[in-house]
Amino acid sequence: MNMQSQSVGPMNSRQRVLAALRREPVDRTPVCNPTSVATVELMDLVDAPFPDANRIPELMARLAATSYTELGFDSIMPVFSIIQESSALGCKVQWEQKDNWPTVKMREPIYQDVDDIQIPADFLTHQDTRCVIDAIKILRKEFGNEVAIIGKTMGPWSLGYHCFGVEPFLLLSLDNPGKTKACLDKLKEATIQFGLAQIEAGADALTLPDHATGDLVSGEYYERYLRDLHIEFAEKLAVPIILHICGKTEDRMEFIAQTGMAAFHYDSKNDPVESMRIMRNRTSLVGNINNPETLFSKGPEEVRKEVIKNLDAGVQLVGPECAIPLQTAIENLKEIPKAVKEWHKEKASQN
Amino acid sequence: MAEIADITHEFIRQEIEEFIERPEERQRTINTFAKARPEMQAIAAALIEGENDIVDQLTRQALDSGIEALEVMDYGLIAGMGIVGIKFRQNFIFVPEVLACARAMKAGMAHIEPILSAAGVEPIGTVIMGTVKGDLHDIGKNLCIMMLRGSGFVVHDLGVDTSPDKFIEAVEETKAPLLGMSALLTTTMPNMGKTIEAFIDADLRDEVKIMVGGAPVTQDFADDMGADGYGKDALACVALAKNLLGVVARS
Repeated sequence: MNMQSQSVGPMNSRQRVLAALRREPVDRTPVCNPTSVATVELMDLVDAPFPDANRIPELMARLAATSYTELGFDSIMPVFSIIQESSALGCKVQWEQKDNWPTVKMREPIYQDVDDIQIPADFLTHQDTRCVIDAIKILRKEFGNEVAIIGKTMGPWSLGYHCFGVEPFLLLSLDNPGKTKACLDKLKEATIQFGLAQIEAGADALTLPDHATGDLVSGEYYERYLRDLHIEFAEKLAVPIILHICGKTEDRMEFIAQTGMAAFHYDSKNDPVESMRIMRNRTSLVGNINNPETLFSKGPEEVRKEVIKNLDAGVQLVGPECAIPLQTAIENLKEIPKAVKEWHKEKASQN
Repeated sequence: MAEIADITHEFIRQEIEEFIERPEERQRTINTFAKARPEMQAIAAALIEGENDIVDQLTRQALDSGIEALEVMDYGLIAGMGIVGIKFRQNFIFVPEVLACARAMKAGMAHIEPILSAAGVEPIGTVIMGTVKGDLHDIGKNLCIMMLRGSGFVVHDLGVDTSPDKFIEAVEETKAPLLGMSALLTTTMPNMGKTIEAFIDADLRDEVKIMVGGAPVTQDFADDMGADGYGKDALACVALAKNLLGVVARS
């Protein structure tokens, strides 16, 4: 059952998102993508193409704002990729062109051992972290308190993939759990520093991607390596935190619900009803419209079905499961808020 | 038909009983290990546990004692990886454990490959694998390669960010009859279709079977692009490769 329309007056987008993250009543379910809604079509619309929109604050802010101004979502997320702080840590990045995301060159790792991990003195003034901080300031100035501005700070597990390489990091986790924990403990400083800087710049909430996905590691791994760190993030970063983990995660949702994270951005590989049952109102869910098969490949009718499936399950914030494919049609994205509003209208007329 | 009691190694018996649920896979595994001598079962057990030093040592000992390299590969290493693949597919183990098993397999193969190569023993198939242009993700592709190698294929790994020209060059150079492409990003998936078109333009499409996979890739997408097959995971990739090449198990 949704926490909507319980004697709640009209809300603006920011109020709606923040209430849903606290699992408080809302006037309608907010539409939100805490990862990215950038598309090539939107880049053309506001003349803010990749890769520059990942590196120049004005372009980043302009492209990010389209989720609110063009698509009708209730949040703005200016960080379109997952590479900003890894670049500032020293990882090499393939910046690509307008039609592709920038990616860390994980085959060229910068760390081999725990002692290699150093957060550079210029971590928060590096072009690629500074860009995010400045973009948030621009957005806050432009939109005031009308829409939720969400920042993004990568968790230490994801940074481990970037800085050590995926396979070396996963093997380390099996061969030497103590050293792995020491690495995570040092990398968490980057997560905290970047998160605090974005809060200071005006972020209302933070997405924290930490890709301990069921496609790579077990739920037991999440408990062993990340649950306590995530509790620490929820305590130290004084805004609602939205944890993002791709893939199958039902086997670790119980542990996630114990962290104090405000919300969990979940993947379409997980069933909304079952996920809500596991969360038991301890953590909000955000998601979980399928990207490659639905938003990218099908039409508005199919998008609507997935929106309704989430609404019927009581999911607190509805949106795509992850950063949407850059070639996704705007028509499909606009269908999400449209379907949400119509579902609520229909429910209201039934009462 | 062999029975589980015919397998001497207790750990292997436990692994089969605990983790192999599908009746046909269970019987096939029992048949293989019932024929395997105890030394081979011990190699398989060490591999399943990811103990690369022990696999290294036992493989050397087996070869020194006069056991054929092909037997060590088929009944020790490949048989062990067979159980690893099933456990991975069924989510009993995850990528870190598979990486450790693949490392152990590699330790054993380091002794076996030179012998097989010198003896002119043909692999069950040769495959070219690569992540498509614009995509730097390779864990899925690498898992497929581990399982393919663990099943006796020779794999030429082209790495990440592979252009259509590089795929074509590799097929021309190696004469491999099978090519596998991987993509993790929706933005790079279309490059699979572009690579297939490049093979058509180069008049090489009939020379090579093409299989595709990756998190956002689906059977429908593979069909639309004109691929010969789609594998949803690493074990499916091995089954598909065998099917496309008409491979019959050596044993």
